[in-house]
Amino acid sequence: MMENISWLLDIVVFFAVYLIVTLALNLQYGYTGIPNFGLALSVATGAYTTGALAGRIGMWICGIRSDLDYIMYNPMITSMINSAIRYDPLKGLTIFFSTIIIVVIVSAIIGFIASYPAIRLRADYLMMVLIAMAEAARIIGLNYTPLVGGTTWVSVPNVFIWMGDMASQFLIITILAISILIFLFMQYLVSSPYGRLIKAVRENELTAECVGKDVVKVKIQIMMLGSAIAGIAGSLWSFYCGTVLAAAYTRTDWTFWPWLMAMIGGMGNNIGALVGVATVIICRRLIIYYKYSLEAYIPFSVVWLEQILLALALILVMMFRPQGIIPEKPAKPKIKKTSQQ
Amino acid sequence: MIPLALIEDALVYANLLLMLTVGFTLTYLIAKIPNFAHGEFAGIGVYITFTVAQVWKSNPYLAVPLAFIISAFSGALIYNGVLRTLKRFGGTMISLTISTLAMQIMISALLNIYADYLYPIAGAYSRLFLFRHLDFEFIGLPGVLIVSTIFLLTLITFLHLMLTRTRFGISLRAVVEDSSLASILGVNVELACTISWMLTAGIAGVAGSLLPLWFQGHPYTGSMLLTSVFAASILGGLSSIYGAMIGAYIIGLTEIFGTYLLAQTFGAQLTAYRSLIPLTILCIVLLIFPRGITGLIEDLQARRASKAMVKIRGEGS
Repeated sequence: MMENISWLLDIVVFFAVYLIVTLALNLQYGYTGIPNFGLALSVATGAYTTGALAGRIGMWICGIRSDLDYIMYNPMITSMINSAIRYDPLKGLTIFFSTIIIVVIVSAIIGFIASYPAIRLRADYLMMVLIAMAEAARIIGLNYTPLVGGTTWVSVPNVFIWMGDMASQFLIITILAISILIFLFMQYLVSSPYGRLIKAVRENELTAECVGKDVVKVKIQIMMLGSAIAGIAGSLWSFYCGTVLAAAYTRTDWTFWPWLMAMIGGMGNNIGALVGVATVIICRRLIIYYKYSLEAYIPFSVVWLEQILLALALILVMMFRPQGIIPEKPAKPKIKKTSQQ
Repeated sequence: MIPLALIEDALVYANLLLMLTVGFTLTYLIAKIPNFAHGEFAGIGVYITFTVAQVWKSNPYLAVPLAFIISAFSGALIYNGVLRTLKRFGGTMISLTISTLAMQIMISALLNIYADYLYPIAGAYSRLFLFRHLDFEFIGLPGVLIVSTIFLLTLITFLHLMLTRTRFGISLRAVVEDSSLASILGVNVELACTISWMLTAGIAGVAGSLLPLWFQGHPYTGSMLLTSVFAASILGGLSSIYGAMIGAYIIGLTEIFGTYLLAQTFGAQLTAYRSLIPLTILCIVLLIFPRGITGLIEDLQARRASKAMVKIRGEGS
C-alpha cells in the first residue's frame, strides 16, 4: 500500500515538473513558432540557481556563520539550515519563495540572452545555437565549482521540514499546485489578445508586422517568459530531489523528453501538452517500475531501452500523427460586448 | 615555445574535425537540414576501431575501411528509412531536424549497449579507451597524423574532382541549387541524396575510426564533437564545402591552442572549458558576419567586380 502511494507521488512530481517544462516549450514553439532546442538551458539555469542560492539564502536567513565555504561544507550547512527551520515555517517558506523569485529573474535574463539569436536567425541556425548554448550551460555547471560543486553535488535545504513526516508530501502538493497555476495562467494567456498576437507571429511574421505588431518585442517577451517558466521547473525539481547534480541536466532529459511530450499531445494546445505529459510519464514510470521483469527479456540496461523508445516514438508520431493526440483547434474568441464598438 | 605534442594534437584534431565538417556541410546543402546525427557516425567508427583493436587484436588501421562501409550503410539507412519516409508523410523542416535528433539519441543508445556488451568480451574498459600505443611512428611523427593528412588530401581532391568534373557531381550540385528543377531535368534526386549521405556518413566514420588512435574514445564522442562541427560549419558559411574546410581548420587549431594559451595564462583549471571556445566563435561569427567565411569572400569578390566595372566604364567614356 505504502509503496503504491509513493509510486503515485513519484508520478505526480514527474508529471508536474515536466508539465511546466512542456508548457514553456508549447508557448515558445507551439504558439509562437520559436523552435527552442535549448530548453535544457533554462531548466539547468533554474536548477543551478537553486543549488547555488537556496543554501546561501538559508545561511543568511538563519544567521549561520558565513565564513564557511559553501560547497565544501555543504552537507553540514544544509543540515544546520534544516535544523534551524525545523520549528520555523516562516524561514522555510521565505527560503523557498525567495529562491523561486530569484530563479524566475535569472532564467528570464537567460531567456533574454537566448532571444538574441532567436529573433535574428533562421530556424536551422537557431536550433544549432540553442543546443550549443544548453551544452555550454552544462559545461559551466560541471566545471565551475562555486556554482553547484562541479562533478559533485550540492544539497538543497528541505524547506518544508517543519511539516515533520508530511514534508515531502507537502512539497509534492506545492509543486503540483504551482504547475496547475502555471497551466491556468497559460490557458488565460493564450486565450487573451496576446495569445492571438503570438499565433499571428507564428503564422506569418510579415503580416503581423504589416498590421503594426512588434514581432521582435513579442519574440523577446516569449523567450523570457518561457525561460522563466522552465526555470521554475528546474528549481522545483531540485527542491524535490534535495540535491543539484550538474551532470543531470542533459539535453535528452530536459530538451527531448519535453519535445516528445509536446509532440505526442499536440503542439499549440495546452490540453494537448497535459495529455502528452501524462502519457509519456506514465509509460516511462511503467518501464522503470517493471525494470527488473523487463531486464529478464532484454539483454541490456533499461536506460538505453528508454532512449531508443523515445527516439522511435518521436519519429513515429511525426510520421503518423504530426498534429498530436489533440490537434490545435482554432481559437474561439470570447464574445463580449465591448464598449469600443 | 609551443611543445611539439601540442602541435600534433592540434593537427590531428583539425584533420578529424575537417572530415566531419565537410560531411555535415554537404548534408546540410543537399537535405537543407542540419544533421544532428552526424557526430554519431564518428561514434560508430570509434567502436569499430575498438572492436578491431581490442576484440580481434589486429591492426587498428584495418578498422578504417570497415568503418567507412558500416557508417555509409547506416547513413543510407537513416536517409531512406527515416528522412525520406518522413518527407513522404509531409514532414516539415523542423520535423526532419527533430528526426535527426531522435536518430542521434538512438544511435548513441545503441553504442552504449554495444559498449556494455563488449565489456566482458574485450576484457578491457569499453568506455574510455585510447590506442595511442598501437599506432606506428614514421620519422618521429605519429601514424594517425600522417594517415589522416593523406586521407584528407585525397578526400579534398576527390570531392573537388567529383563536384566539378563528373556527371554525378554536377547533378549533385543541381540538387543543391534546386532539387525540384533538377528532378525535372532527369536527375535522380533520391539516388543523389542517398549516395551523398553514404559518402558523408562514411567520411565521418573514418574520422571516428582514427580518433581513438590519438584521443580518448567513448560512446559520447560524436555528440561532444557536434558543437565544434556546428561552429566550424557556420564559420565556413554553411554554403560551401571549401568554406567548411577553412572553418574546420580554424576551429580545430583555435580550440587546442586557445585552451593551451588560456591554461598557460590563467591556470590549468581552464582546460575543462575547452568546448566553450567553439561556442564563443560560433556566437561571434553569427553576430558579426553571419554568412561566414564564404560570405566574406563573396562580398570581397563582388566589391572587386564592381570596382573593375567602374574602371571599365571610366575608360569607356
